[in-house]
Amino acid sequence: MEKLITVDIADIKVSSDRDSTIVTYALGSCIAVIVYDPMQRCGGMIHYMLPLSTKSPEKAAWKPAMFADSGIPILFEKMYAQGCKKENIIVKVAGGGQLYDDKGTFNIGKRNYTVMRKMFWKNNIIIAAEDVGGAKSRTAKLRIADGRVTIKVKGVEAEL
Amino acid sequence: MITHEQILGKIDNLPTLPTAVAQLSRLIASPTSSAKDFETVIRPDPSLTANLLRLANSAYFGLRREVISVKQAITLLGSKRVFDIAASAGFSKIIPPRLPGYGVPSASFWLHSIAVAVLAERLATELHVKAPGLLFTAGLLHDLGKLAIGSFLENEEASLRDRLAEESESFVNLEKEILGTDHGEVGEELAKLWDLPEAVIWTAKWHHNPNDAGDIDTTLVDLVHIADAMAHMFGYGADLGELSRTIDPNVAQRLNFNIHSLEAVSSETETQIREMGEMFN
Repeated sequence: MEKLITVDIADIKVSSDRDSTIVTYALGSCIAVIVYDPMQRCGGMIHYMLPLSTKSPEKAAWKPAMFADSGIPILFEKMYAQGCKKENIIVKVAGGGQLYDDKGTFNIGKRNYTVMRKMFWKNNIIIAAEDVGGAKSRTAKLRIADGRVTIKVKGVEAEL
Repeated sequence: MITHEQILGKIDNLPTLPTAVAQLSRLIASPTSSAKDFETVIRPDPSLTANLLRLANSAYFGLRREVISVKQAITLLGSKRVFDIAASAGFSKIIPPRLPGYGVPSASFWLHSIAVAVLAERLATELHVKAPGLLFTAGLLHDLGKLAIGSFLENEEASLRDRLAEESESFVNLEKEILGTDHGEVGEELAKLWDLPEAVIWTAKWHHNPNDAGDIDTTLVDLVHIADAMAHMFGYGADLGELSRTIDPNVAQRLNFNIHSLEAVSSETETQIREMGEMFN
């Protein structure tokens, strides 16, 4: 029986329960970073809202998963705490959508993506696959038994 | 294409907001009404009273102690705030389990409505905009037209999905193209029929195109326009239209905001939106 573990907005979940699937819904401009270590059969996901916590240090202390800069490191720390190794972790990314907004006033999705890319670049982390951008709302799933990631957009589910 | 009469016929069959909300709407418009009048209207409706007290005690309304009566709520929050809360409580009762056409379960529609109300108010504070009264209620009820036209869209869901996949047209424009009207126009009709305040009527009508609102003061419509976009971006109650919506560039100019103010508003409201969003699941 598949157990669903839901990642809320501004939330992180890590699991090594092989019967479980981690899922997050309605990723608009938010981003899900999905990580999986095939050696440990352990995976995790963060659903963050905003790029930087610099202007909201109190919020970041209380709810670090709200921001890319304070949340993504915690996701990796939680994986390491489960015995995962950085070199084995496969990273996939989904979300970062945007409205029809020619002037870019609402470019939070793009900012979310750019800040994450910079962080990964600095830390030598490669993104194995991504499904980002567009006027889309996504549902992301990670199956812990085998690390299969699927993204559902407009009712259609596809493997990432 | 559906006719105006068909839509109005549907409106007649909808569950209506508790009559108390319309009565309160008249009371807040009247300079002579008293707290006692408010209490007399709300108290006979026990389910409205119960939902009102639950909402009034949420962190968002910032009361330091628990309120246990309508009278106490009026004393501590004032009659305008109590109207906001009564409208929310009444609205929560009439959302169907699933909104046809938009593919939205009631929990998502409620979450979206409450998110827009909270985001619009917080945005006004962040931007130092003096918000006209009833911003909360206007934000909460902005999409009420969807209650009436959802069933007309249901038969068109497949073609709607195809058109949305092209990512060239906004959802509200597709409504107009397919039905000959949109949830804004229908929302206006519904708000008038339910005797809701003008602020609610105008916001329901113009929240997708504030620039067409003519010579009314658009501050409230502008704030709800932006709050609505933000709510969709953060997935507070995603519907079939998802992010297929446009931002009116004139609104950004009028309200004078930038991406940093939007980010501040978003981070500060997440907990409150979630708390109230889960209240009537």
